[in-house]
Formats: sequence, structure tokens, C-alpha cells
Amino acid sequence: MADYTIKVRRFQPESGEGPYWEQFKVELEPSLSVLDALLQTKDREDGSLAVRCSCRAAICGSCGMKINGQSGLGCKTQIGEAQELAEKKMGAVGGSAERAVVVIEPMGNMPVIKDLVTDMESTHWAKIRRVTPWLLPHGAPPEREYIVEPESMLDITQPMACIQCGACVSSCLSMEADPGFIGPAALAKAYRFVGDPRDAETKERLHDLAEDPHGIYDCTHCFACVDACPKDVAPMDQIMRLRRRAGEEGIEDPNSGHDHEIAFVKIIEKKGTLDESLLLQESFAPGIKGKLKPSKRAIKEMLGSIPTAIRGIKTGKMRSLPKLIPGIHHKLPDGAQDDVKAIYKHAEEHNEEFNLYIKGEEDVEPEPDEPTDAILGDEAAAAAESESA
Amino acid sequence: MGGIPTAASDFSPIASALVPTHDVLVIGAGLAGQRAALAAAEQGVSVGIISKVHPVRSHSNAAQGGINAALNPGDSWESHAYDTIKGSDYLGDQDAIEIMTREAPEEILHLEHLGVTFHRNAEGKLGTRAFGGASAARTYYVADITGQAIMHVLYEQLMKYSEQVARYEEWFSTALAIDENGECCGVVTRNVADGSMELFKAKAVILATGGNGQVWKPTTNALICTGDGIAMAYRVGAKLMDMEMIQYHPTTLAGKGFLITEGARGEGAHLLNAKGERFMETYAPNKMELASRDVVSRAEQTEINEGRGFPDGTVALDITVVPKKRVHEALREIVLVGRDFAGVDITREPIHIKPGNHYTMGGVKTDVDGRTDIPGLYSAGETACVSVHGGNRLGANSLLDTLIFGRRSGVDAASRAKRIEGSTPSKKVLEDEDAMIAEINSRAKGSGRRVSEIKLELGTTMDAKVAVFRDEAGIQEALEIVRRLKEETKTAYIDDHGSVFNQDLLGAIELGYMLDNAECTCIAALERKESRGAQYRTDFPERNDEEWLKHIDLEQTDDGPEISYSEVTITGWKPEARTY
Amino acid sequence: MSDGQIKVAYWPGCVSRGFTPELHGSMAIVADKLGIELVTLDRANCCGAGVIAEHNQELADTLNARTFALAQQTGLSMMNICSTCQGAQSECQQRLDADSAYRAHVNEALSGQGLSYEKGKDGFTNKNFLWLLVEDYGLDRLKAQVVRPLTGLKVGPFYGCYIVRPKERLGYGEHPDRDIYLEQVITALGGEVVEYDGARKCCGFPVITMNRETSLKQAGTHVGDAIDAGADCLVTPCPLCHLNLDMQQPEAAKVVNRDLGLAVLHLPQLVGLALGAEPKELGMSKHIASTGWVEERLAGVPA
Repeated sequence: MADYTIKVRRFQPESGEGPYWEQFKVELEPSLSVLDALLQTKDREDGSLAVRCSCRAAICGSCGMKINGQSGLGCKTQIGEAQELAEKKMGAVGGSAERAVVVIEPMGNMPVIKDLVTDMESTHWAKIRRVTPWLLPHGAPPEREYIVEPESMLDITQPMACIQCGACVSSCLSMEADPGFIGPAALAKAYRFVGDPRDAETKERLHDLAEDPHGIYDCTHCFACVDACPKDVAPMDQIMRLRRRAGEEGIEDPNSGHDHEIAFVKIIEKKGTLDESLLLQESFAPGIKGKLKPSKRAIKEMLGSIPTAIRGIKTGKMRSLPKLIPGIHHKLPDGAQDDVKAIYKHAEEHNEEFNLYIKGEEDVEPEPDEPTDAILGDEAAAAAESESA
Repeated sequence: MGGIPTAASDFSPIASALVPTHDVLVIGAGLAGQRAALAAAEQGVSVGIISKVHPVRSHSNAAQGGINAALNPGDSWESHAYDTIKGSDYLGDQDAIEIMTREAPEEILHLEHLGVTFHRNAEGKLGTRAFGGASAARTYYVADITGQAIMHVLYEQLMKYSEQVARYEEWFSTALAIDENGECCGVVTRNVADGSMELFKAKAVILATGGNGQVWKPTTNALICTGDGIAMAYRVGAKLMDMEMIQYHPTTLAGKGFLITEGARGEGAHLLNAKGERFMETYAPNKMELASRDVVSRAEQTEINEGRGFPDGTVALDITVVPKKRVHEALREIVLVGRDFAGVDITREPIHIKPGNHYTMGGVKTDVDGRTDIPGLYSAGETACVSVHGGNRLGANSLLDTLIFGRRSGVDAASRAKRIEGSTPSKKVLEDEDAMIAEINSRAKGSGRRVSEIKLELGTTMDAKVAVFRDEAGIQEALEIVRRLKEETKTAYIDDHGSVFNQDLLGAIELGYMLDNAECTCIAALERKESRGAQYRTDFPERNDEEWLKHIDLEQTDDGPEISYSEVTITGWKPEARTY
Repeated sequence: MSDGQIKVAYWPGCVSRGFTPELHGSMAIVADKLGIELVTLDRANCCGAGVIAEHNQELADTLNARTFALAQQTGLSMMNICSTCQGAQSECQQRLDADSAYRAHVNEALSGQGLSYEKGKDGFTNKNFLWLLVEDYGLDRLKAQVVRPLTGLKVGPFYGCYIVRPKERLGYGEHPDRDIYLEQVITALGGEVVEYDGARKCCGFPVITMNRETSLKQAGTHVGDAIDAGADCLVTPCPLCHLNLDMQQPEAAKVVNRDLGLAVLHLPQLVGLALGAEPKELGMSKHIASTGWVEERLAGVPA
């Protein structure tokens, strides 16, 4: 048993008061959870402390919250570890460890109803429904099951493992800046259907998700959802796979996301390292392989970036105006660029996606100086044999 | 109103007030409830589904291992039925078991067609795993998140059919409405978000609120599993059946009660005592770790009681014998449970486990179409007792039960709704519930015990006295404590007197449900003077078919539950000695 | 931590030789002052910044396998100076290290160049300068090198997403404090850490071409928060963050509709100042947001 202090962001909507902080003392084993600490407080001290919870085992998805600023599940975060993190954070900014308390807040990017209870309907569920979250098979089902690649089912079991807790939504840094972003949970759910060979509307889904300016190209690739997810769904990975699939379909999007991707890939093929000014231009007005066809948006964006560029030249950050004109960029030495091109040839031919979720880490052979039970067992057996012999 | 897509078109003015009305009202939105709602909607009637938590929070999530069906060529429903009957220790009704096992393959295919991501074999067809008490590998699964995967797919369908099924998410039901003919015609429900009380009118009500695991502590069950539907039905005069039959799951984490799926043993994991012996050799030499759950739980408890367990009162589950790749593919969730809740890497070391409260075999007595004794009142899933599980449920039969009888209830309730006019519930039931809540709110702080204290005493009492091994003295003691707690509950106070998300108040109401469940279990456990399935009486260690091959039914009276008996339906499989 | 000579295979990345040349330059100065020998991988290629992986995962993995193999040819561990390189390369390395068959497949594409990426017994090490500074060089040793303590300078750390998430991939199991190294370095250099909301948030750069408004709102918000918390400057180990926080700062100010004007230093610049280098040689005049205030604050402290 150990003593902890939890500091809870509270909001009692009927009090007429705004949100406030309240500290509670709890006493429990370090291996018990932050949710256990909250439940102990509710049971012993203040039954009005509101928190959604049910299974206590990270399967129902009720207790999404922020703990020391990190979005996750209260039931899956051990109080001892939360305390250590609080102390570490306090120490990093020069505070003393004794002052460190476990800070608990409602999830972010959602309105708060009461204490730790948020309105998931208007933020989370509305967006889930936005992606047409049900299977759309073609025609009548077969007499028995659909015959599909075994790996395809394993693959979409990853987004299927989502428990709709909202931790990723809470953590989403894109959504923080753009509340319209469809968001990590809904896009992971979308991949669950795009990746499902039984679904017949894959193309339509991809168009829908790519052509929405708040869709797949609105993700800032910050990994916050990957770390927040308690079920290893890796929502951002699913978003990147949606981009890959949309790219394969050649879908043009209003964010120029696909153009940006193609421009980047082509520049590295041509130059080996990134030429940022060329990237900017190509993202908006692709012309590396063909004619320049700048769209209205491209022209607007290009004009928008001119003040930035001029400032860059003034300070000497960009050496000269030609720096902004494609084609002047250092190249890799002595045929290294040909090596890069050879890699392109090989990889574009195979385009293999190595899915760690399906494959897992390979079993590593135990180090010889690190005896395992099995080895000991064999030795013991060998010793026993030699004895009997 | 956030979160509640109220079906505006279904609101029809009755008398002077607006009473929300549906043909069929489902209470509870786990697998049984969602399946019932979808099945009723398919019949073209208006459906409402009410749940005290958001549907995807329901406890069906926790079913890890899979769902049984004799779908493989070479397997047969008869074999599945026999295993189920033997598993039930011959207390299951064989007509109901026949229906369940015959309809199982079609249900699995239906789920597959809706989008459940079932595991495939190398040919891309549905693949199976082995499970306890089964004579063939007939468990279909999605890694070890089968319940979750199925439930989320059903919820996808509820979203798809939102025009046909109105969802009342986070509405807490407090009482059923019965008309002057004794038929069920509605329910009183509290909108958790704002505390408003609503009287719903319906031509049929289906109770699918899950089991009562929270009566025990620890339990694998979620905090929401407080026996609400069982108690609500009991309070309006419906019969309960087999309430003594409470399953203790063989592999739960000590202390926290978290579940380790039977799938682990299905994949080949061993049970070891502290001496490293695979002790199931003694108890079930043929099926070993895959004997019926009651058998395995008793074996473990015997090892622990006789001093061959670990000092923390456990034995060990050794998953390291399962190939790592297979664990990664099929037991992913358990790796997380081990890592996050026990600090154990199950791929490298055995994990300590013990039997723990898990499942309510008994419940509201129904026929094979979910009908209770009260016209218009239905029940399905763990709330109900059809009975397909009898004295002991086989692993991976619970999901099947929820779906088959959820669907059948939905269909039958819809046909009743089409047939009858329906009556308007009296406002008195709403007034009574308002008064009940006002009374709880009126109790002054310190006037009695805290609700949480009573819950804790109830849980630990039941786990100590009405668990794997039972005897008359212990059960009697538990019953007396339960009755004292019932009295104490009348003055137990709460802190929160508000309207918005008042979980404190709901907890007090749930405690009442739990105590009704507990009392019934004690009464039935005292009554059954034999050992069968999950009921093992150390003072009556043998099964006694002569006297006790019958169901114990309970009905509420002012003096507590009144006992009666009903026959076990036997169609073809005569009771035999049960060995594994 | 060791007192020994550190010699690394050095991958400067693309941006440090493009839009932020002052980063490459200041790293060279700082390495010299710290006695870290840099063997530049001048044949290596772009990490793909996550964008190439989004297009073709195998392509990204192979490109980075090539860089790793070039580093392995030198027999040295690798060091980078860009959070984004760290993240993108770690992601590819995780896949390459997970499976020998996949590694062999990728190495096929490299065999024509006489290259092969090997996981090796102890694994291949690729560290951002920040990690190397704390884990290999050591904070005490760094402290001992300080000739111009950053006394009174209030510094807001800005990590860049790719170096803090996902934790499991980025070695946080072994080095759990990697997300407070900037604070530790600032303190070791004598500066004062400023706590503000944006330290581990996204600068917005990855969507600057795709959703300019969102991108600049992110940058502007973080810079504004740091100013409100009293920061004299930000410090970042990521040149891409630098682009959005510094180069785009005037544009970001328009989006968040407030005055900004906060210096944003590259990590080697901050270290360099404390080691006695002059702002000009560290390329600070090339920044968009004036570094004048930082220079003024330090003017009183003799180098």
C-alpha cells in the first residue's frame, strides 16, 4: 500500500460554477489503476465524482481520460507509474518530487458534461457515423462464408480491436487545430472497411475520404493517436494506409496531398535528398514529369508562400532567388543517385507492405550466455541420463 | 439532446402527456439486446433499444474466446448438443439446446456476412479452435476479442438501421410497467445525462441486461453487471430459475478477477500447481485442461485448498508451451492483460490464476422464444434462463445463447406487437419511481452506511460462502448477511443529489437489484441438496438425479422468494455419469 | 556516459543543407568544441520523412536500409540532427529488424551497390544529437564544457513529434527520459526551462502544403503559448519544426491573429552559445524571427 494524491479537474454543471481542481488522498497498491484511485475516492469520499467506467480491464472503452496530460484509459494506467511520471515531469521543470501529484482531466477535443464525463456523441460518434461504418458488400451474400485471404482478416482485426474509447481523439493534435478533422478513430474505422475484401465500395470510400478537405490529408502525422491508443490500433498507420490506397487509385484531393506525396517521391528519385523549394512548387503545380498545370488553389498557395520566401532571401536563409527555382540543388556524389534509382526500380516493382501487426517480431535466438529454462532443462536431462548410464 | 437520437416519429400523444412509444422495447444493448433489436426491426415494427451505458460498453465485449457452432463438415449439431447437455450436468433443457445448436451454423454465417472478421484457415474459410468440454474444435473466433468484434459489428448495423431502431444510449431503467391484465406494457427509465424520468410505452419489452457478477467480489464481470433485468422481472412477478448456478471461471487473475480466456487452454496452455505438476491428470485424464469449467475450477480449488497452490492462493497457467507466433496471432489480448494488469509476459513465464466468479447460468425463466411468465415480457442472454446451460455453461456457448435467443425474442416480440393493441401504462409506476428516488435523495449524510460499504460486504460474503464449494452453514450465513444488508440499504445514503450524471444514485438503485439477486441465489443454493454443475455442496457431494433432476423456480412474495420446481426437458440424452 | 572520444557516422539530413543551412554549420562547430568526430555520410539519401512510406513502404524501408548500410560500412554508430529523420528512420528500422526474411528481401535491392543492412547482435544504433549528447556524451561532461552559462535565459523546449512518439518504437523502454532531455540540456547549459503547453506537440509542418490554416495555427499557438509563459526563445532538435516555427512565424502570427516574434534556436545553436561560439558563426542571423533578444540577454555573460 502506498499513499497518493490525485488532482482531478472537476466540473459540476448544476453548481453554476466553472471547472475547478480538487485534490484527493488515496491509499492503494502501486499496481492498481488510476481508475481504482478514482473509484476509491468515489466510494469513500465523494460519490458525486463522475467518471464513466465499467470493465476495469481495458475492453469496454469507458474510462478515457487524460492522466498527467496523456490521453489513455484510467483502468490501464497504474497509479504507481502515473506518480513516477508526475515526479519526472515535475523534476524536468525544476520542481521537487514531493509536490508531484497525479493530474487527471477529462478527455480533450470534447465538451465536458460533468467531471471526467465528456460528450462523445457530438465529437466522436458523429465522426464515426461520417465514414459509413458498416459493411457494404456486393449483392447477395454467398451460401456459406466469403472466402478471403486469411491475412486480410488479421489485417483488419487491428482496426477492429478499437474499443471506441476516444483516447486517440482526445490526443489528436490535428483536431486541436482543426475541429473539423474526421480524426483518428473514425479513419481507423474507415480502414476497417477499405481493407475488408468483402466490401464492394472501396473506391467510393477512398474518394470520399480523400476528397473531404478534413479527411485523410488533414492528419499532421504526429503519432499522438498511436501512443494514446490502449489497443495497439495505431490509427495513424491506418490513415497512412488509406493515403497509400487512395494514391494507388490516383485520387486527386483538394488538399493536394497526393500531389505532395508524388512530388516528394519523384524529387528523391531524381535528387536523392529533398529540395524543399522544388517540393513546394511541385506539391501545388505538378510538372516534374509533364507540363505545369497549376490549379487555382496551387496559384493561391504559391502566392501565399512568397512573403515567406522573400523573408528567407533577405536573411540569407535561402541563398538567392534561384534557390526557389527548381533544378539548382546539390546532387549525391559519384553515381550514388543511380544507386537510389536502382532502389526505386526494385521497390516499385514489389511494393511490399510489411505488416508488423500480422507478422510480429521474429523469435530471437537466446544469447548463449543467457541460459534459459529450456537449456537448463536439457542439461538437467543430460546430467540425469549420464548418471543413470 | 446529446447522444440520443430520439425517434421523433414514434412519439405519439397519449392522454395528456407525451409518452415515447415503441412496438418493441429492448432493455440492454449487449449482444442479446442488439441482436433482438435488429431481429425485431427486420419484422417491420418500431423498435427502441435502451441501455444504461453506451451499447459498445456492454459486457459482451469481454467474451474473448469465441462462439460455438457445428459448421464444419464432419461435425454435427447432435454432437454440439450432447457436449452442451453433458456440460450442463443434465440440467439444461434439451429442446432448447437442440434449437440453439441447430441454428448455430446459420447464425455464424449471418454474422460473417454482416462483417465479423472471423479467423480464416489457410484456404480462406472460417477456421476454428478447441474449447473446453467440446468433442470437436468448433469454436469460431476473432483473435481473442470475439465478443467485442461481434458486438461492434452489430452496433454498425444499429447505426445503419437508425431509422428503424431508436437508440436510447445512457438511459437507466428502474421498473417495468404492468397493465391491469398482468401484461407488460412499458418501462420507467432515467435519462442519465439530465436525470429526467420517462415512462416508455411498448407492446413488448425484452430484458437483455446481462448477468449479476457484481454480486460477487472479485468477479470477471464489469461494474455494470448488477443483475438489473433479473431483479426488475422478479419484482413484477416473473419466475426466476436455477439461480444457484453461478459459474466460477478456471482462469482469472487473483485479486482483480480479470479473465484469461479459455482459448489459452484451447491453444494448448497447461495448468500447473506449485510443484510444477499438471494436476488435471488426476481430475480429468482424458480432456485434461479442457474439461468443463466447473470440473477445472474445482480441481484448481482442491489443489489450492490442499496446499499445492502458490502462497497467493493460486495455481499457474503456462502459456509458454503455445508457439509464440500463435500467441501473437490468437491470444493478443491476453498478452496485454498479462503485461498491463499482472506485470507478466505470458510468452515467457506462467501466470498465476484462480477460479473467479464469471457467469450467471440462472436467470429469468423463459421459453425458447424468450417469453417469460408475464405476457409481453421477454428476456434473452445472460439475464434469461431458457435453460441451455443448466448447471454449467460450456465456454463459447454464451455468445451463441445471446444471439440465438436474442434473435428469437426479437422475432416473437415483434409478432406479438403486430398482433395486439397494446395498453397505456399507468402513470402510477412513474410516480412510484419518482418517489423512490426522492426517498433515496432525502436520506441525510451519515444516516446509515455508505452504499459502497454495503456492496463490498455483499461481494466478499458471496465469494466466501457461495462460490466453488458450498455447504449449508455457509450459505445460511450468507443469506442472513444479505437480509441484514437489505435492511441497511433502506437507510444507506448517497453524496450526489443532482440530476446530471448522478452515478451515485444509480449505484444505490443497482445495490437493490444486486441484493435481490443475492437472496435468490442463496435460497436456491440452500434448497438444492446435491452437487450438480457449479453447485457443489460439500455436505451433499453427489449428484442425485432421483430427487434433484429438476429446476428450482423462485417467485417473489412479501416473505421473500417462494420455491417451486419445474421439470427438466429431456428429449433423447439420458443422464449419465459425467467424466472428462 | 563516457569520457572517451566519440566518433559517429553523421547523417545531416536534407533540410539542414537546404532551408536551414545554419543547422548544419552550427553542428560542425559544436561537434568540434565537444570533440565529437563526425564522419559525414555524403552518399546517403533522404529518410522519406514518412511521406515515401505513405507512398510505398518498401521503398522507404530500402532507402533507409541503404543509409544504415552506408553507416555500417564505417563501423560506427549513426547520428542524425533531425527529429523527423529519427522518427522516419526508426520506423523503417523497426520493420527491418523484425524479420530476417524481409531484411533479406530489402537487401536484395542493395546488393548491386555492395551494401547490406545487418541487424547485428546488439542492433544498429541511430541517435539524434540530443540523445547522443545526454546518453553518450553525458550531461556532467557537457556542463564542464560550458564557458558562457545561459544564466537567466528562459528557454522553451520544442521536441518535434517524431522524436517523442511512438514511445515503444523510439527506445523509451530503455531510455524513459528521452522526452525530458531538452529540459535536462537547457538546465545543464545554465538556462531556465520554460514550461508551456506545446513542448511535445506538433509544429504543423507536415500539413503546411495540405492544410495551411491548420498548420500555421499549430505553429502560431505554440509560439504564442511559449511567449505567454515568458520564454526568451525556443529550442528544437528538428529543422522541419524550425521551418514552421521560425520561417513561417510571421504567417503564423496572421493566422493566430497576434504578435509573435520569438527566436527559435536549433539545438546545436543553443549548445554552441553556451560553449562560447558567437551567434553569427552559429548562423543565427539567418533566422526569420530575430534572435536579437537572446543575444542581448547573453551579452552580459562573457564567453
